[in-house]
Amino acid sequence: MASVYIPVQNSEEEVRVALDQLPRDASDILDILKAEQAPLDLWLVIAREYFKQGKVEQFRQILEEGSSPEIDEYYADVKYERIAILNALGAYHTYLGKIETNRREKEEHFAAATDYYNRAARIDPYEPSTWIGKGQLCVARGDLSKASDNFKIVLDTDPNSVPALVAKACIEFNNGENEDQYKKASESYKSSLELFKKALQIYPGCPAAVRLGIGLCRYRLGQFEKARQAFQRVLQLDPENVEALVALGIMDLQSSEVHGIWKGTEKMQRAFEIYPYCAMALNYLANHFFFTGQHFLVEQLTETALAVSNHKLMKAHSYYNLARSYHSKGDFDKAARYYMASVKEINRPQDFVLPYYGLGQVQLKLGDLRSALSSFEKVLEIHPENCDSLKAVGHIYVQLGQNDKALETFRKAARIDPKDAQAFMELGELLTSSDAVAALDALKTARTLIKKGGEEVPVELLNNIGVLYFERGEFEFAEQTFKEALGEGIWLSLLDGQNSVMDPSAYSVLYKDFTLFHQLEENGTALDLPWDKVTTMFNYARLFEQLHDTEKASILYRLILFKYPEYIDAYLRLAAMAKARNNIQLSIELIGEALKIDDKCPNALSMLGNLELKSDDWVKAKDTFRAAKDATDGKDSYATLCLGNWNYYAAMRSEKRGPKLEATHLEKAKELYTKVLMLRHGNLYAANGAGIVLAEKGQFDVSKDIFTQVQEAASGSIFVQMPDVWINLAHVYFAQGHFALAVKMYQNCLRKFYFNTDTQVLLYLARTHYEAEQWQECKKTLLRAIHLAPSNYTLRFDAGVAMQKFSASTLQKTKRTADEVRSTVTELKNAVRVFSQLSAACSSHAHGFDEKKIETHVGYCKHLLDAAKVHCEAAERDEQQNRQKLELARQVSLAEEARRKAEEQRKFQIERRRQEADLKQAIQQEEHFERVKELWKSSSNTSGNKRRDRDRTLGDDSEGGHGDRKRRKGSGKRRRKDKKSSRYEYEEEGEMEDEHEKAEEDDAHANDQDDDGAVRTQDQLMAAGLEDSDAEDDMAPSNRKRRAWSSDEDDDEPSGRHHDLSPAGRKEDSAGSDPDDARDTEMRDEMHEPNMGAGDEDDN
Amino acid sequence: MKLAGIKSVENAHDESIWTAAWAPATETRSALLLTGSLDETVRFWSSDELNQVGTPSGGHALGVVAVAAHPAGFLAASASLDSFIRVFDIDSNSTIVTLEAPPSEVWGMQFDPKGTVLAVAGGGSASVKLWDTSSWQLVATLAVPPPEGSRPADKTGSGKFVLSVAWSPDGRRLACGSMDGTIAVFDVARAKFLHHLDGHYMPVRSMVYSPVDPHVLFTACDDTHVHMYDAERKGMIGAMSGHTSWVLSVDASPDGAAIATGSSDRTVRLWDLSMRASVQTMSNHTDQVWSVAFRPPSGTGLRLGRLASVSDDKSISLYDYS
Repeated sequence: MASVYIPVQNSEEEVRVALDQLPRDASDILDILKAEQAPLDLWLVIAREYFKQGKVEQFRQILEEGSSPEIDEYYADVKYERIAILNALGAYHTYLGKIETNRREKEEHFAAATDYYNRAARIDPYEPSTWIGKGQLCVARGDLSKASDNFKIVLDTDPNSVPALVAKACIEFNNGENEDQYKKASESYKSSLELFKKALQIYPGCPAAVRLGIGLCRYRLGQFEKARQAFQRVLQLDPENVEALVALGIMDLQSSEVHGIWKGTEKMQRAFEIYPYCAMALNYLANHFFFTGQHFLVEQLTETALAVSNHKLMKAHSYYNLARSYHSKGDFDKAARYYMASVKEINRPQDFVLPYYGLGQVQLKLGDLRSALSSFEKVLEIHPENCDSLKAVGHIYVQLGQNDKALETFRKAARIDPKDAQAFMELGELLTSSDAVAALDALKTARTLIKKGGEEVPVELLNNIGVLYFERGEFEFAEQTFKEALGEGIWLSLLDGQNSVMDPSAYSVLYKDFTLFHQLEENGTALDLPWDKVTTMFNYARLFEQLHDTEKASILYRLILFKYPEYIDAYLRLAAMAKARNNIQLSIELIGEALKIDDKCPNALSMLGNLELKSDDWVKAKDTFRAAKDATDGKDSYATLCLGNWNYYAAMRSEKRGPKLEATHLEKAKELYTKVLMLRHGNLYAANGAGIVLAEKGQFDVSKDIFTQVQEAASGSIFVQMPDVWINLAHVYFAQGHFALAVKMYQNCLRKFYFNTDTQVLLYLARTHYEAEQWQECKKTLLRAIHLAPSNYTLRFDAGVAMQKFSASTLQKTKRTADEVRSTVTELKNAVRVFSQLSAACSSHAHGFDEKKIETHVGYCKHLLDAAKVHCEAAERDEQQNRQKLELARQVSLAEEARRKAEEQRKFQIERRRQEADLKQAIQQEEHFERVKELWKSSSNTSGNKRRDRDRTLGDDSEGGHGDRKRRKGSGKRRRKDKKSSRYEYEEEGEMEDEHEKAEEDDAHANDQDDDGAVRTQDQLMAAGLEDSDAEDDMAPSNRKRRAWSSDEDDDEPSGRHHDLSPAGRKEDSAGSDPDDARDTEMRDEMHEPNMGAGDEDDN
Repeated sequence: MKLAGIKSVENAHDESIWTAAWAPATETRSALLLTGSLDETVRFWSSDELNQVGTPSGGHALGVVAVAAHPAGFLAASASLDSFIRVFDIDSNSTIVTLEAPPSEVWGMQFDPKGTVLAVAGGGSASVKLWDTSSWQLVATLAVPPPEGSRPADKTGSGKFVLSVAWSPDGRRLACGSMDGTIAVFDVARAKFLHHLDGHYMPVRSMVYSPVDPHVLFTACDDTHVHMYDAERKGMIGAMSGHTSWVLSVDASPDGAAIATGSSDRTVRLWDLSMRASVQTMSNHTDQVWSVAFRPPSGTGLRLGRLASVSDDKSISLYDYS
């Protein structure tokens, strides 16, 4: 056992003091020391021994005694020992100050330490140990640069001072820790490493702490292997060195291998056993137990760690562990609190960013989007490429409605990690509304990634892909995708057509018939339709509809309704299908079902309004549209549009056509259209409606522009079908006299949208041909229309008029061939036949014709026929004569030739001249004939000739001896009725005073026509289009699901009516007209319903 | 079961072709295809080659809307928009008689399976006229009564407008289809109306009975559907959808296993009745397909199935059906 020997004064003896048997009371020793005037180094040794034994009081007592003024005086020349004692006291107080938490006492200790060091310095200002002590005091006070200065002073005098080296190394290391810039920090670590190394070289036996320092520096510098060696060496020297254990443990844990983690945890546990209050080890253990799910241990460990550490970062870790534990237990409030506490402990987010992430997650969960956003943004400041945070931020942007930013964020996430299906999914969903192609690509990528990952592709994803295919018109892909999404289920066998016989008598209510499903259930077949597949099923049904497989669509809709009777959209689609099949009654009933579920559903109301319009229930329809508009606070442009259309029809339909009422309705319509346009600039139907109103007012150029733009815009989507705008454009061309363009436009429209089946458009076409005086085309067009709509007798009447007109105009020609006249006769016979049939039909049906009127036509045609027969004879006679003339000429020339031959030799020159002259004559005659033919042809194309021709006909008639009824050539009396202003009505009202008897009939007929027109108007007014029952997925259960065709909803709204014909009602003041003209007018009435159809229904 | 194109004739007529019918083979010649067009002619075409036989037959005005061939193969009737029916000898193309029954116009026509009666859809007269084929006298007028049950008032005000007729294979029943979609079934022997068949609400332009089951009636309607009715028991067996536009024409294959339809959507579809689904779509026409007709299996050695279609695009197409 170590002992010290205190020399006894003035003798050779010594007092032996066993260091492990120091008296409890230091005064005993002190007395001896003082009495024997022992050397001061002995005082120090003994004090240090007390300190080592933890007897701090005795330690201090001895040192304080040893630094007392008497001692100074007595040992004045013993400098070093006195300094050592003072320094020891200084170091002691520095330590006390460092561990003292009470601020005032802390300062007192530091002051005392300063005091001792100053005293030591007074004894010898150059003593290095004093400077080291001072330096350490500065460190304790946190004044690293001053400390560094102090150590430098030491090293300047003694470059090999190990304590100074180590101290300086520590300071450099700390500098590195506090340095933000990586480069500067690594500079600091490097110099720190150098200093540690030097200390180790100078004093190889130095404590393990130096090697620990080396290890830490190397770790920081990224030299992990060497760091590991250093730590292991520390452990060899000092197997209980907790820091080295923890450091090695961390390195093991970071290896991310099972084995490494296991080893690391083991080391942490050992460190914990050695020293249960190492915060770092506690945190890591807590972390470990978090992952093993032992939350109770987590809490205990972190609480201990929190109690023992006041290192901020360490506390942040502890709070984080705690927060995470609560987070995973679903206690978000507590988790948020602890994350917050953790964040508060962090000075620089780059040191420890995880709590920000956790905080963001919890805030998101708690609905505090803004805070969550800033938390995630913090994470991104440090890790700009962190996909999870990017996705979280993107998600928040979506919820905040900032789609552009969200898009950017998800794009970035997808770019950074091209294997992140989630990012692609979100991206795709975001792009859906703006860029369907890119959206589809993104979603497909997501699907591929998920499939590669061996996971099941979510139904929503497949649904969305299917919808995008659908919208792009790639129906096969869409069908495959929907099928995949739906998977196995009862629907497969239903669609297979194996469902066999439906109750035959129930067919008229087929679309609302559920007996099939009831039967299946009774038969024990389970009808399962998982809720997450309803939307997909609905879309699948929509697809069938699009593919015109309405039966399958109907089964699916009914299945949806059978399981989920609240699914309004399915009712609406069924109603739309019934409507498409003209089953109005059923359609109204289905809408009724939908309204039972939600009597405010604007879609159902709008559709009901349309149905009511279709069944000519005007007042009801208006109320319904109003209700629809109110139900959406006027925000739903469709309802507004419908009201606009309603007003437009109202303006056009009233039989009386009060100009005032008309103007009011038009104004109202315009106002409503404008309102919609303000709400949605891109609403094609509203623009179309506005164009119609303008055209109605005669502003053709403006309306033409509008229609052209709408037409262009509408050609982009398969869901927008706007034949009406084509028709309107054609109407404008027509009104402006560009007949050829109008014809083209009508024909294209018919072909493109109606499969050439729309008789109304055919009628417009015929009308245009008629105006252009292309009688044969006009007739053919009307015959086609009759073939398509056999029960429309008006078309027959029109055809009769066309034939009559053709005949009349042919007869008016001054020159015509016998063939032409013969065909005229045929046409007239046909016309007579048509009119007679109509007349006969009149007696059995009320289809709106005035029998007398038709009789008049019959009479007129017969009269023309008679005239034509004469013409025919005349023409044939002419032809005959012509032929005879030619024959004569030929005979003459033959005779001449004979004569010439006889006198050939003699009169060669003269004869030849004569012969030439004869030939010329013959040729001229023929040429003339050709020219006349040309003239006929061209005259039929130039409208300018029309009147003249007609007049001429009349003249001919008179000449032909049939002019017992004299007609005045009253072209001068024709005038345009501008006040009617209806853009398309070019009625020229001829007034022929002479024809008094006819006047009455015409008048009567005109009225009839009015009625007839009105009837048809109603009939064809298929009101404002449609149901845009396409808004479907609103009820989709998951917010992931986007509304399937949201674009439908907005754009599809039909606006307008189909062809509304404005009733050809005109109250003519027909003061009687030339029959010819009168017929003209009627013809126009028939053919010419000014109609600007606005949007059609598109129940696509 | 499939269709394979054999031959097409472009510009077979000068105008849209609206109707087609097969005249069965006789002892002296094989079956002929008769086509009627807006160009006011009826033309005859040899089978498989589709060579025009004889001269176009005139005598029509305003477009030929229907042709019907007598089951014996010698006679045919054609009707045009001027409401005259011309009965003529196919081989000599000579007119036998011209029929009219004013004020009724003429739409669909069909000889009964025995060839003793010609049934004519009378359009606005709301009736089917039956003509005796030996005396060519009007023997009966079957009036279509308004349907039972309530239905929205007909706004054309013209009552039933009869468009199409079909004889059951046993000749006992006659069905007629109308503009508003109602189908009326008559007992011919008693000249008695039996019942209506519900389900269509748009014009029914063509109908045909199954050749193998006298109960089953197929109807083609503007509502884009083909319905399959049990015409005897007033029940609906099925509805087949798939056409994009009006279904203008329907015919049943002689074996009764398939039907073919022609539509405004410019296609011809073949439907497998066992699956009740469309199994093939021919899109060789460029305009509405107004008529489809299976060649009757008469004659010797001519058992091969043939289907002809005619269209607004002025062309005729012939397909092999197997």
